[in-house]
Amino acid sequence: MQPRGQLRSAPRPGPARPFAPPRALLPLLLLLLALRGAAATLKDPGTVDAPEPPSPGMLQQAARAALHFFNFRAGSPSALRVLDKVQEVGWQVDPTRGYQVNLVFSTQAYHLQDRERRLGRCSAQVLFKNQKPGPAVTVRCAPLPEKHMLREDRLLFKQLKQLKGALNVSSIPDDYGNIDPSLRPMWDLAVLGSSYVMWERTTQFLYYYPLRISSVKQWKTSDHAIDFDYIILLHEFPTQEIIPCHIHLIWYPGKWLKVSYHCEDMQTPEASSGTEEGSAVAPTDFSNF
Amino acid sequence: MRLLLPVALLATTLAITPVRFDREKVVRVKPQDENQVSILKDLAKTSELDFWYPDATDHVAANMTVDFRVHGKEFQSIQSVLDQNKMHYEILIHDLQEEIEKQFDVEEAIPGRHSYAKYNNWDKIVAWTEKMVDKHPEMVSRIKIGSTFEDNPLYVLKVGKEDGRRKAIFMDCGIHAQEWISPAFCQWFVYQATKSYGKNKIMTKLLDRMNFYVLPVFNVDGYIWSWTQNRMWKKNRSKNHNSKCIGTDLNRNFNVSWNSSPNTDDPCQDTYRGPAPESEKETKAVADFIRSHLKSIRAYISFHSYSQMLLFPYGYTLKLPPNHEDLAKVARIGTDVLSTRYETQYIYGPIASTVYPTSGSSLDWAYDLGIKHTFAFELRDKGRFGFLLPESRIKSTCKETMLAVKFIAKYILKHTS
Repeated sequence: MQPRGQLRSAPRPGPARPFAPPRALLPLLLLLLALRGAAATLKDPGTVDAPEPPSPGMLQQAARAALHFFNFRAGSPSALRVLDKVQEVGWQVDPTRGYQVNLVFSTQAYHLQDRERRLGRCSAQVLFKNQKPGPAVTVRCAPLPEKHMLREDRLLFKQLKQLKGALNVSSIPDDYGNIDPSLRPMWDLAVLGSSYVMWERTTQFLYYYPLRISSVKQWKTSDHAIDFDYIILLHEFPTQEIIPCHIHLIWYPGKWLKVSYHCEDMQTPEASSGTEEGSAVAPTDFSNF
Repeated sequence: MRLLLPVALLATTLAITPVRFDREKVVRVKPQDENQVSILKDLAKTSELDFWYPDATDHVAANMTVDFRVHGKEFQSIQSVLDQNKMHYEILIHDLQEEIEKQFDVEEAIPGRHSYAKYNNWDKIVAWTEKMVDKHPEMVSRIKIGSTFEDNPLYVLKVGKEDGRRKAIFMDCGIHAQEWISPAFCQWFVYQATKSYGKNKIMTKLLDRMNFYVLPVFNVDGYIWSWTQNRMWKKNRSKNHNSKCIGTDLNRNFNVSWNSSPNTDDPCQDTYRGPAPESEKETKAVADFIRSHLKSIRAYISFHSYSQMLLFPYGYTLKLPPNHEDLAKVARIGTDVLSTRYETQYIYGPIASTVYPTSGSSLDWAYDLGIKHTFAFELRDKGRFGFLLPESRIKSTCKETMLAVKFIAKYILKHTS
């Protein structure tokens, strides 16, 4: 069975094959086409080297960046989404700004209890800035069940407050891929924090997966917030490097998320660090264009 | 829970009449309106659906959760009808026979013993190779092809029914230490080969006509290190001159466009290519073995994780190999057949454009040496657990991968001279 909306074979040289959009995504598609008409076009149509349409790899990159950004801004560890299928809708190249990809994609809940398949739908515009990480993202996702998210987050918050011995934690998951159920909420929170880092570090070429919490430096809970300081290992593709990132986050369930970080890069010792706030409040579209 | 009762009933039924439910799926749908209800009811008429809940087609109504059993072969057409009508569905059980058997699973891992459903350390794997040879001397022999930097043995298992100048396929696992699911697959392959010979038609034919050279752990030192010191270790454990950093990435160390990739020349990097092509004892041992068996080896397959991809040459250039259409066809069918088991989706393509340009890979080297069908699997998953794939997923990963590997082997048997 061919999965829809996903190019499975490698791109051949030459123009990309036309693609029939899945019916379910048509409304979003129409919206984006309308937007595209109003968007900036190529500056100089007469250039000898016409810019290439985004490769499947580039599309994936754009979707990843958009989803990390969305997860961060949504600020909800129980509502984390992972990428399902991606489809390009348009693209523009502006030599002064960078390469912009317009796309739609579907998502699945991060918490795949092996049973649920609540598909989400998003549309996004992602601008990869020339040679600079931290693409500019505008992303809109089909309305999320906010009440449900809030309820789940509050439950998670309660579980986290009751956690004993958080500071003694090392290695989540363990070598065999196991996460103790009582520590699962901590992992989710850590992944949420890493979304910010991964968004900032994603470029046209580099992408990340969170691999493991290697240590917990600080864990403070109060009635309203969790103050979490930890080191998480990020797996960088395609370089295959494993990068330890020291992340400090403060999470106010249902309100907001504050993240600051510092990653130990081998290549760039002036490394990456950053601070940002995400809001867990209502808006379903986030932008930092 | 609702599901246990029917399964338990089925289990008792099994005791009386040995019915099997291989590849049968159990699907859950929630028809939203009368229209969807009638679609379901029509489906029930044209395909053989066994309703688990409700117990009969008549009781299907809107806004109720409907579970039914259907054979894997029929499932595809059911799926397209559901998709066309925008009906959401979940696959509750991918293979009913498996679920049933799980309840009788006697092969429960005894702590300290080798298990195909667990990750086994190096000592267990060595003992396992000995056991395989002991139990199946007419089909399995163990060859020491060299040793590692730390003087650990490199063992290849030769699997096949007879000797003589026959076609062969070389498969290696564990070139990167942290990719534990990879050696797990090689062990599973040998296990299945020996277990199903004489019982499974395809496997019997393959083993009667071909030899499989299986290297269950390529990077032994690294593997041991990932068990004892650093689960995330990738390279081997050789010392580098003028650097305190240890190890070379064996999959950058082969003699094929070896120094063309930037960023592979720093000993402290995870993708360090080594001081020279084939500088590593491990690389040399494998390269020597393949060279000396070149006349018989028709395919080379290397197993990695993760990303769910099936790759073929080239990595060192964006140019496509002469038989790329053939390779793409094999990869397409291979990934299709893999997905029939658990719906696991793979993408496929040449390394350079599917992943990124790399140099010194075993895949490219084997291809340029003259082995025209070379493939690399990036096994499960797609980032949720990455290298730390939970043990509970080992068996299913191995089973689906087996389907692809058997297809490739059949293809080689049929289409190579």
